[in-house]
Amino acid sequence: MESTFSGIEKLGPAGLVLQAILVSVGGIFLLVGFIVLRRWYRARYFRRRNERTAALRSQWDEILSGRISAEAWRFDPLDCDIVESILLDSIEMSPADKLPPLLDCLRVSGLLDMRIYEARTTRGWKQQTALLALGRTRAMEAIPALAEGLDSPLSETRIAAVRGLGRTARMEAAIPILDRIVTGQFDAPERSLKNSLVNCCRTHPEVLINYLENADGAVRELLARVLGELASPELGEELLVLATDSLPEVRASAARALGNTNNPYSLPALHSLASDPEWFVRLRAVVALGQIENIGKIKTLLHALCDANRHVRQRAAWALARMEPQLEQILEDVVATKDDYALQAFVSELERSGAIEKVVRGFDGSNHHSAEAALKEVVAEARKRVELTGKAAAAAVGAH
Amino acid sequence: MHFLAISNDTLFIYYVLSNVIYLALLIVAIVKNVRHRHRLGSQRLELVKASPFTPPITLIVPAHNEERSIVGSVGALLGLEYPSLEVIVVNDGSSDATMDKMTEAYQLQVARILYIADIATAPLRAIYRSPLDPRLFVLDKEAAGCKADAINAGINAATSPYICVVDADSILEKESLIRIMAGVFADPGRVVAVGGIVRVLNGSRVVNNQIEEVRLPKSGIEVMQVIEYLRAFLVGREAWAGFNMLPIISGAFGVFQRDLVMQVGGFRTHAVGEDLDLVVRMHRRMHDQHRSYHIDFIPDPTCWTEVPTDMKSLARQRARWHKGLLDTLWPNRDMLFRARYGRVGWLVLPYMWIFEFFAPIIEVVGYSTIILALISGVLSKSFFLQFLLFGYAFATLISIGAVLLEEMTFRRYSNWREVARLLIYCLFEHFPYRQLTMVWRLQGIWQYLRGDLQWGAMKRVGISTEAEG
Repeated sequence: MESTFSGIEKLGPAGLVLQAILVSVGGIFLLVGFIVLRRWYRARYFRRRNERTAALRSQWDEILSGRISAEAWRFDPLDCDIVESILLDSIEMSPADKLPPLLDCLRVSGLLDMRIYEARTTRGWKQQTALLALGRTRAMEAIPALAEGLDSPLSETRIAAVRGLGRTARMEAAIPILDRIVTGQFDAPERSLKNSLVNCCRTHPEVLINYLENADGAVRELLARVLGELASPELGEELLVLATDSLPEVRASAARALGNTNNPYSLPALHSLASDPEWFVRLRAVVALGQIENIGKIKTLLHALCDANRHVRQRAAWALARMEPQLEQILEDVVATKDDYALQAFVSELERSGAIEKVVRGFDGSNHHSAEAALKEVVAEARKRVELTGKAAAAAVGAH
Repeated sequence: MHFLAISNDTLFIYYVLSNVIYLALLIVAIVKNVRHRHRLGSQRLELVKASPFTPPITLIVPAHNEERSIVGSVGALLGLEYPSLEVIVVNDGSSDATMDKMTEAYQLQVARILYIADIATAPLRAIYRSPLDPRLFVLDKEAAGCKADAINAGINAATSPYICVVDADSILEKESLIRIMAGVFADPGRVVAVGGIVRVLNGSRVVNNQIEEVRLPKSGIEVMQVIEYLRAFLVGREAWAGFNMLPIISGAFGVFQRDLVMQVGGFRTHAVGEDLDLVVRMHRRMHDQHRSYHIDFIPDPTCWTEVPTDMKSLARQRARWHKGLLDTLWPNRDMLFRARYGRVGWLVLPYMWIFEFFAPIIEVVGYSTIILALISGVLSKSFFLQFLLFGYAFATLISIGAVLLEEMTFRRYSNWREVARLLIYCLFEHFPYRQLTMVWRLQGIWQYLRGDLQWGAMKRVGISTEAEG
């Protein structure tokens, strides 16, 4: 029997176009059909899921305590998925003392073993889902399976493993990551690594110190950056050593860490870092000084206010403008530097912090006459400058 | 006769090629979108929010005569979920009550903040800050007659490493900043700019400056624009970004590395399509410096924007877009087919010249020669009809593909009736709407050649927001 298409072919080029029309129209019907079918299926699925969620929620205490046997829900894929979601959400939201019954339920029902099995035997998207779910369980026995995920040839799987380990928020989970990154061969996005290490090492930042000693280059910088976020007062001496590191990024992280410890012993080191040849190290030191409550920092900050780098000046001004009881004296000192940029930056920050009105009021009956005059001058000058900048810019725009 | 035959053949090849390319883009976009959806499943936004490594960002809102929407928009921007945010509104010499409304709503006070015009802009009148929210700053500047100048003033004043430009008549979803920055977090060393999706706000219900219920607009002309936006963003931009060839990040919503924007001299003043122009110059700069980079598009961070509701405004907008296209392509013509500019010079720019810029010209020439060929008997009537039908069916298939993509991924239009309306309107997009846009785009070319680079005003209804409770 002759096919429809062979009949069309006899029409020549017109037949080809006719075929194309048929294919396009067929495609349109196919797409519309797919949209309709998908909508219908999803509506049905979510209705059923809602019903089952309500039913399982109503029996939640029995499910958790084991009075309803796991077999009753474990082998129905929908029920199993719902119970796992509820359990993992609860684990994430629960304080440590409420975790044991939730973890017991995961273990006794075999859900945890199922996920460990999936993380080890499946590949691709399914493995990644299993790794993330394992991380959310926060269970110790999940860590080896998660660690194996770090050796996957797929970058998406490695990222899932890193994120999973981070979500356990256990110090033990940091070890497999650290072991791999110190080799310098481990390839995963820096941000994922940093976030996971921060989560895992929050209670034991000293773990990072040992690895830092054996790391160099980019890995050393990464570990220092994490340590910078987690540093506690107990890490005093180690941080002081890092403040003299040969890598500027490590010195910058040490400055951040010293700021987080908020200890007076940090001041001498931060004073020294505030004169570092690298601008971003000076910037970090100035930011850290801003965090420390000690009037001994004023001199260094005043020096930083006259720094060659705009960002350093800005952050120094930010820190100084927040030292409220001393603001009038600081203004006097800033005026004494005879640095116009410093004065502008400081007044800008007083304005941003909303402290300027207090400073102006504070001048009534005070001895800070030169500061008061300078402030008035700055205000007038600032207005003039804005106009000048505008005019210069307008001229430039015109020339453009 | 010979000329007519060649012309018809050329038109036929051009039409098939343009649709095949779009079909290929659709397939790439479907694959990318589905993969992105899977990845989203593993992303925990609350962890990103809590991370100490999340960099600060400055939102720049250029506002020129936005009295209807400015207060609501700024309120929504300040309510965005992002750990370290600065909002700079640039009042670009508005002649209406934009500044008064802002001053009243946020109790603005003059601030003596140091402003260094690294990028030249029109004169600044004053800088204001709000005692109600220390994250808000307002730059009041004289009008320079272009949005780019206002954005540049905002860039000068910004203090964050990343800037995000948002239109004052747009609404960002609460998590949109975190979501768009996920593109940067993926590879902060390489990703220099990220675009988000812009969707049509008209018709949706807005409560407290946030989208409460997504609805399709009532009028057909607006629904057509919904389909166009879906196709342009979910198909076009998604696919081009997949190959690091994204030529444009919408001026209504995009994140840029501030330093790089400064290096390329900011947004080009008086550029008609300043968003397209900036991205092309960023590509140029990165290739010139042989730097490894990526300009990405993420389909889930959403910005809702008002689109023209009347033919006149729509015509003006489309003419302006086409002027903007030529205004960018022409100064960058030296990038074409140059090995130094890689796939940008070899693929995306030629595509934009041939299938975007020349499209209305080729179409109008095509229609004319086909009619001539029909009259002179070179072309058979049945072939002509079949060709028209094929073109129409194929293009409709692509439009429905864009709706399918929306259905498979984000499903913003949740009820059956809305999706059915979208599908029905897909049938009318390629006749007669497409022919209308062709005329508007030709007008744009004509205006550009005459030296008319004005933006033209768009009639706005304004965001009508309901108060909760």
